[in-house]
Amino acid sequence: MSEPSLIEQPKSELKTTPKKGPRGQVTVFANWCKGCGICVAFCPTGVLALDDDDHPVVVYPEKCTACHWCDTHCPDLAIIVTKVEI
Amino acid sequence: MPTQFEHTEYMYLRPTKKFPNVWCAGCGIGIVMGALIRAIDRIGLEKDDVALVSGIGCTGRMPVYMDFNTIHTTHGRALAFATGLKIAKPNMKVITIMGDGDAIAIGGNHFIHAARRNIGIAAIVVNNAIYGMTGGQYSPTTPIGAKAATAPYGNIEPPMPICEVAKAAGATYVARSTVYHAVELDRFIEQAIRKNGFSLVEAVGYCPTTYGKMNKLGTTVDMMRLLKENSVSVTAAEKLSPEEREKKIVRGVMHDVEKPEYTQLYEQLIQRVQHAQPANPDKP
Amino acid sequence: MTVKLMQGNEAVGWGAIAAGCKFYAGYPITPSTEIAEMLSRELPKVGGKFIQMEDELASLAACIGASVGGLKSLTATSGPGFSLMQEHIGYAAMTEIPVVIVDVQRLGPSTGQPTSASQGDVMQARWGTHGDHPMIVLCPVSVSQSFDLTVKAFNYSEKYRTPVILLLDEVIGHMREKIELPEFESVERVERIATDVPPEWYKPYGDSLSDVPPMANFGEGYRYHITGLFHDVLGYPTTRLDEIDPWIQRVHRKIERNLNDITLVEEDLSESDKTVVVTYGASARSARHAVKLARQRRTKVGMVTLLTIWPFAEAEISRVARIAKRIIVPEMNLGQLALEVERVAGRNKVVRVNRANGEMVTPQMILEAIEDR
Repeated sequence: MSEPSLIEQPKSELKTTPKKGPRGQVTVFANWCKGCGICVAFCPTGVLALDDDDHPVVVYPEKCTACHWCDTHCPDLAIIVTKVEI
Repeated sequence: MPTQFEHTEYMYLRPTKKFPNVWCAGCGIGIVMGALIRAIDRIGLEKDDVALVSGIGCTGRMPVYMDFNTIHTTHGRALAFATGLKIAKPNMKVITIMGDGDAIAIGGNHFIHAARRNIGIAAIVVNNAIYGMTGGQYSPTTPIGAKAATAPYGNIEPPMPICEVAKAAGATYVARSTVYHAVELDRFIEQAIRKNGFSLVEAVGYCPTTYGKMNKLGTTVDMMRLLKENSVSVTAAEKLSPEEREKKIVRGVMHDVEKPEYTQLYEQLIQRVQHAQPANPDKP
Repeated sequence: MTVKLMQGNEAVGWGAIAAGCKFYAGYPITPSTEIAEMLSRELPKVGGKFIQMEDELASLAACIGASVGGLKSLTATSGPGFSLMQEHIGYAAMTEIPVVIVDVQRLGPSTGQPTSASQGDVMQARWGTHGDHPMIVLCPVSVSQSFDLTVKAFNYSEKYRTPVILLLDEVIGHMREKIELPEFESVERVERIATDVPPEWYKPYGDSLSDVPPMANFGEGYRYHITGLFHDVLGYPTTRLDEIDPWIQRVHRKIERNLNDITLVEEDLSESDKTVVVTYGASARSARHAVKLARQRRTKVGMVTLLTIWPFAEAEISRVARIAKRIIVPEMNLGQLALEVERVAGRNKVVRVNRANGEMVTPQMILEAIEDR
């Protein structure tokens, strides 16, 4: 069974979010991701960006509103969003 | 398997199967798989009560990844295998997973008869408008004028309207969505599985590797944008002229009625027969 | 025991019921239709299910699906339908799913003559589907045997996890004859080997000393994958040679190691018979009469009736070839099983008596061959 490696965002950054509403913690499993770029292109608040290998990285974790667009549209099930209580 | 995360989709994947999945980067089939799992999870079905029956092609490779009773059958015949399984185990939820060529080209006959019988099977057809696995030959849903490996001068055959055919043949639930509208899709799949009768969900998602490349539709992201911009809801489609409607993908529930389901009808038949024949059935 | 006058096709239906068949899916086709009609009537009485599918491909597919769901399943057809079923016969062989297919042979090729007999599907029954695969094919000689061999077909199919083909011909299928029907409770039924390991340890294609893996039915607590692609012991598709080669060996071995059980032969010969008639199906009836006439005229002749035509009875025919100088093979085709007899016994020993126009090979034709006229 392939064990994924993950890029997690540090929890402390979330506390600096000024806006109200739900927040999410984004986790990317790089070894399941095939780099299609769909999550990066369609994230409504611009949380993600592509790195040099065309894999997504979390650049603005505080902007995630837990809308779950990315994890319902990832063909590889390589990204998940967990709702976070602040 | 990232099992330390109690994320819905991961709860239903086979722990012994190798990932990442076999499809190309950005292929919509993976999105349909996620939608299917979410639908099954919301209904609260036991894994042992679910059977996935698939045909041949890229879409047919879906069931192996999921922790249910899964069978990958022959090209076009998934509904026939599913019919036998459903009759043997009427209390199981039997879901067939087919591509467009599998379901209505070679499988066309079984498609209309399963709908006609209204047997309790939920058919999910992933329509990528091409024969992807074999390298991009045209299928019965390839649009007119599109290029394909066996239509180098452009396709001249009109596409088959899968949903209309299912409705005409007798299906009791018919819906269409796209892989861009993944959340709407999983809602339709949930309704289809809950339905006690033959239900069809068509999930449109063009193949980026063959169809997209041969027809210069851009990257996978461009093609997702295309699905978003080129589709309309059923209600909005009614306000369009027929020419405008033809160019759009119409999304929504097309048909939702109640009719007697086949396995229940046969069960009633058995009761009638056995009631009328109390003599020892072993003796000829 | 009840004595009845019964049609061959009907006897096949009763054999299926006696063997525990609970599912029939088929498409009507002459001369097999009576099997479907009989089972449509009788299966509901025993809680079984009958469905007429839209074509023969769907019929065998539905039977395989029902078998995966735990029901013993049967389909019946004739030449044109048998040709359509080949893909799924291969699928059942590849996925090791028990199912019984009855082919009531008509005169072919193509539409041919639906109400005339032949034995023209012998090679097709063995090799009709693509790829290397083993196959068990049984061939009854009478109405009574149609019942018995149907039961045997189901039992082999469950025991060895393989499709089994029952080859009738239009003569046996449509004739009426006396049959002594046994009490169905006394009929021996073999069930597929069930697994007893916890679901997490279950390997649908592995862990068996007998080369036949225990089979769990869908929906009973064991969730696994079945595919027509080459697969590993868990049923997952594979392209690895170290998984493909063992599968090929095991699946052939499970039949080859059990020839004692599978090869059914009736012998009526002695060490001094220099002429032996090797036959099967309806031709055996003519041969029986010809042998009787020949012996009345003091000719020493023996007879071997093959009830199992595939796997071919190599051991038995080799033994016959050591005794006999001439082996006569009457068939209602242009020489299909004769090819096997020639391969084992040598071409110069074999005399073919053929007829492929819908008429039976007559006792007179066989008698002339026996007496070398």
